[in-house]
Amino acid sequence: MLSRTADNIYWLARYVERAEYLARILEATQRLTALPLAYTGSTNEWESAVATAGCTGAFYKTYAEANEDTVTDFLAFSTVNPSSIRSCLEIARANARAVRTALTTEMWDVINGTWLDLKRFGSGPFTREELAQFLRWVQEESLRFDGSAYRTMLRNDAYWFSRLGLLIERADNTARILDVKYHLLLPPQQHVGGPLDYFQWAAILRSVSALTSYRWVYRESLKPWLVADLLILNDQMPRSLASCYENLVRFLDLIGRAYGRQGPPQRLARAIRTRLENSRMEDIFQKGVHEFIGDFIADNNRLGSAIAEQYLT
Amino acid sequence: MRIRISHETRYHYDSAPKGIIQTLRLTPRNHDGQYVIGWRIEVSEDCRLDPHEDAFGNIVHDFTVDGPLQDLRVVVEGEVETDSTHGVVHGAVERFPPSLYLRETALTRADGAIAEFARGSRPSPTSEPLEVLHNLMERLRSEVVYDTDPTHVGTTAAEAFALRRGVCQDLTHIFIAAARSLGTPARYIGGYFHRLDGVVQQEAGHAWAEAFVPELGWVAFDPANGICATDAHVRVALGLDYLGAAPVRGTRYGGSGEHLAVAVHVDQTAHQMQS
Repeated sequence: MLSRTADNIYWLARYVERAEYLARILEATQRLTALPLAYTGSTNEWESAVATAGCTGAFYKTYAEANEDTVTDFLAFSTVNPSSIRSCLEIARANARAVRTALTTEMWDVINGTWLDLKRFGSGPFTREELAQFLRWVQEESLRFDGSAYRTMLRNDAYWFSRLGLLIERADNTARILDVKYHLLLPPQQHVGGPLDYFQWAAILRSVSALTSYRWVYRESLKPWLVADLLILNDQMPRSLASCYENLVRFLDLIGRAYGRQGPPQRLARAIRTRLENSRMEDIFQKGVHEFIGDFIADNNRLGSAIAEQYLT
Repeated sequence: MRIRISHETRYHYDSAPKGIIQTLRLTPRNHDGQYVIGWRIEVSEDCRLDPHEDAFGNIVHDFTVDGPLQDLRVVVEGEVETDSTHGVVHGAVERFPPSLYLRETALTRADGAIAEFARGSRPSPTSEPLEVLHNLMERLRSEVVYDTDPTHVGTTAAEAFALRRGVCQDLTHIFIAAARSLGTPARYIGGYFHRLDGVVQQEAGHAWAEAFVPELGWVAFDPANGICATDAHVRVALGLDYLGAAPVRGTRYGGSGEHLAVAVHVDQTAHQMQS
């Protein structure tokens, strides 16, 4: 396979996953800001949303204040922001078009259909309800794309590269959610917050569709150290860092075997996975969740670069 | 290298016991230079294999089998990808500070002879710890002859040293006793070794030691082969001595005439290009 083809497939998967993630963040923020101020504390949730998307610098170049209108405009519909939902879907479709023959009919139909439907949303919705509908639609299209890839693609290197893109993006996204809210994810001894933090933790869990999963796994009321455990170390949870890396190692191994060559990406992925496997929540809290997540995001980016250098250039 | 391991432990009883309980320390963990690609434990009888961690961080499986049963077979199979770390252990689970591994146990007590032998490797109090340990390992290898006959599972380091004969377990115990007598924390490692002479069928797993060198960390020494651990070593369990890291420990209710057969098969899977 040409490295350019692999590159297109990899980034196609990453951008679709990024679009879904942004939609989830916006939905979670909408929900949080709908609550009375007394329930959510003093943080500007819209500012948090921009931070979770990793766009704080770019945001404040264009807008002065973070509120509902500016943030939804910037993160969802902006043509200027390369990481808005609109931009992500457009770049994804451009990547898909370049490798149309490597995709199945279903996959192309979904991504192209999404791109065509995007036009009818114009420059943005006028009401909150329309925005909610838009966000729901983005998530559904992303699920359809992922589902069509899973159900119809041949299990060869094209499939594995698309999974790599998806998993790296997913790990990055979960890490960012944790990073922005780390001050809420305290260990038992330090936990000083009150019952109001419940809504924040529930928002974190909802943004990764894990609210019910949490109760299934822990059978307890929401506790911040268990939320952190679910999203970092628990490999039952498909969006957790541990689960992403379990699969990353597996797919990199398959690629390595298919090409008869292993290298830095495989070793790096295994090292990161080993670190996650051998960690316990007490050790992470001792080191500091913020530091741990910061290191993880840096490592994850390094893995992305290693993959790009080995296979995509 | 990518190492494939198959370890079979077979028990046969002339008179069947009523029940058997076993604790297995047969599952390797990941650390820098070792990655478990796939690992499976199979017991020939219907039972529940409960995995948990012991105090040292070893992965332990317990199971109970109700009798009466004449034969029991435990098979462990898997593939591990290893890289050389020049013997230094990084990224492994460390549950205790190194000073715990100075603790003396019955199997690793340093008697006068071992203590004197150890002192011979340290010419002055300011000798480099790493050099001392290397020297100790080399002298030990030439001093003690590899012999499967005279010793058994319960032989202590002192007894084996007095005989100047033993298997890898005894050599490891002597090394540990000697190192501890010099004030260096040391521990017992059970695992597998991919032999360089191409012999694939082995009678048992392998044993070697790890000693703590300040500023470097835990360094693996294989006194039976006279080398530091390489990418041919697969590290499975650690303990203060053999009892803490034994692959299989168990007890049975009644029964007699136990015959034990162990077969270990360690080879390399298809060679892959590394870049």
